[in-house]
Amino acid sequence: MDAIRTDVLVIGSGFGAAAPALRLAQAGLSVVMVEKGPHIDHLRDFRQTQDPQYLRQYLHGLAGDHLSLTYAEGLGGGSGFYEMVSLRAPSLAFRQTDARGRRLWPAELERGTLDPYYDRAEAMLRVEQIAPHDVPKSGLVFSLLMKNLGYSCDRARYAVRNCMGSGFCVSGCIYGAKQSLHVNYLPQAVAAGARIECDLEAQALRPLPGARALPYRYEVRCRRRSGARDVVVFQAKIVILGGGTIGTAALLLRSRPDLPRLSSEVGKHIAFNGSVKVAALLPEHFPAGDMFAGRSHPGMISYQFLESHGISISAGKAMPLMVVSAARLRLDGDGREPAWWGQANVDLMRQMRHRMIALVSFGLTPPGGTITLGADGHPALSLAPTRELERYVETTHGILQDILVRNGCRMIDTEWVKKSGVPADAGLHFATAHQVGSCRMADDRRSGVVNAAGEVFGYPGLYVSDGAAIPSSLAVNTSLTILANAERIADGIKERLGLP
Amino acid sequence: MSQVISRRAALRSLGLLALGATVGCTPLRVVLDKHPRALDDDGTLEDRVLRAFLATVIPGSDAAAPDAIRVFHDRAYPFAKYARFFAGDLCRRAARRSGGATFDQLSPADRTAVVQEGLAADGTTRKLYGGAIYLIQIATYASIYDDRGGCPLIDFDGGYHFRPRTENTYPDPDSFLASALTASGNHA
Repeated sequence: MDAIRTDVLVIGSGFGAAAPALRLAQAGLSVVMVEKGPHIDHLRDFRQTQDPQYLRQYLHGLAGDHLSLTYAEGLGGGSGFYEMVSLRAPSLAFRQTDARGRRLWPAELERGTLDPYYDRAEAMLRVEQIAPHDVPKSGLVFSLLMKNLGYSCDRARYAVRNCMGSGFCVSGCIYGAKQSLHVNYLPQAVAAGARIECDLEAQALRPLPGARALPYRYEVRCRRRSGARDVVVFQAKIVILGGGTIGTAALLLRSRPDLPRLSSEVGKHIAFNGSVKVAALLPEHFPAGDMFAGRSHPGMISYQFLESHGISISAGKAMPLMVVSAARLRLDGDGREPAWWGQANVDLMRQMRHRMIALVSFGLTPPGGTITLGADGHPALSLAPTRELERYVETTHGILQDILVRNGCRMIDTEWVKKSGVPADAGLHFATAHQVGSCRMADDRRSGVVNAAGEVFGYPGLYVSDGAAIPSSLAVNTSLTILANAERIADGIKERLGLP
Repeated sequence: MSQVISRRAALRSLGLLALGATVGCTPLRVVLDKHPRALDDDGTLEDRVLRAFLATVIPGSDAAAPDAIRVFHDRAYPFAKYARFFAGDLCRRAARRSGGATFDQLSPADRTAVVQEGLAADGTTRKLYGGAIYLIQIATYASIYDDRGGCPLIDFDGGYHFRPRTENTYPDPDSFLASALTASGNHA
């Protein structure tokens, strides 16, 4: 089989992949981008629906005993389905240390290092702080809860233009208002000469024999995921891994036999922005929220407890599917049985739209998750529960509940359920789409997989530019930081190649 | 412990939405679909029973709507394989409780008691009943077969129907806003 040769092969098409594809194509290199998931025409393929079969086309999960991750597969990666929240990681996120006091981030990377790249990413995504008159009702009600207690609350920042508040951000914006990668990086990359291939999964990567002397250093074997499932082989001078925290780690782990110098840290140190959630009903005297109107993220974020507890707090909006597929709800103090179905449940669900308030925190939890490959070749996820994590959950839960109770809210008990609908085991469990760090940047290969430039230790020309390279939780949504870091890595590649 | 629902946490649950987990430990009577003969003799009984089940789990829902119980037979979900057995089990328990009545003939209180009995039975039956409730709540509240119609019971209006911006927010947002820590929304 003849291999397709290209200067640059980018694996993935999400936030971590799109920036290198665009910048290197603009610099005159031949660029091929391969995406495992289906092609997405954002104006044609997205639907305003709660149909699980539609969502399952694009959204997938990887669950372990104490951690569950959600990720997107499809052109544009998570950018088609995220809530558009685009915030810079706070400085203290970059200064986190591990249990032995060592910095999680490479020494040369600070918030200030990323700021110029945040500027560029924000310009590309047209990020702006939400105007007060655009903040959805649920966000305003959350702000009022904080205000009543003398706490601060900030208007958040979003990648959107002319949002009409349909509320279907997470099933894909059919109006083109969301500034997903479909409206900026990806078409610009194509215009600059990049070629995008969807439905093509990178299965294995190996250095070519004598690679140090040859311009084409790596060979990547891909397979179509539908149709004839034919194999396509690429040879590239530069390979950029941007398939996400799970996808990138899985590819490197599968390729390890051909990459003997690969760090033993691949798949380790997954950070997950430890989110904690509580919900309640608003007291009668409070203005109503609206779960179903306005953008999916309610517009406000509080940094009140960032310095003291390492958490940010937002309100959470949820469509009915998100609620009933995740949990059995019981109103605290409602003694009726049955509680999670029947009349008591209907009475609670009737209050969901206007009287339910949910608080969600993101925190600087340590990067304790691990991906390994099972005997079947599929990734498996684990997180060791620690007393530190338990204390974090207890403390954070207490803060959130305190905000609600002191405002007179009535708490809602939630029993999480598994995918099959049966109750999940009690105990520590985190669920997130903010996973980062399975191939983290570090100062040396004993601590991480890639250097501060994103280049894999021991493998010149092989880069990781996606969330897998981010070494820590951020306490805010991760997309903008992943994109900014990918812009920085792309600049570094150009600089090393002497490109404009 | 009070916890809630994030969109992210919820999406993680979308992988199966089904009873795949039951298959490995399914009793022979389920595999063989040993349902009561009444289901064969009365061609509408299964439909009536499943609609009565919906009315029991979600009182006030439109159990007569054409798609009201479609999810139970939707082959996208493994539950479709068990729907007939499930309807039969409801009838068996109903008959024991009432001296021969089918589930749909019971009073609402007795139907509730039958479902509670199923949820308290052996592990497989518990999963079957819990899965049935899970599926019908998802299908009904999220209106998965009618993107535009939504679920009037909970004021979910389905896909977007135009509403003026004033319905998304309040006219006096400044009165809600707490003091801000940042000028831009980004923490330093």
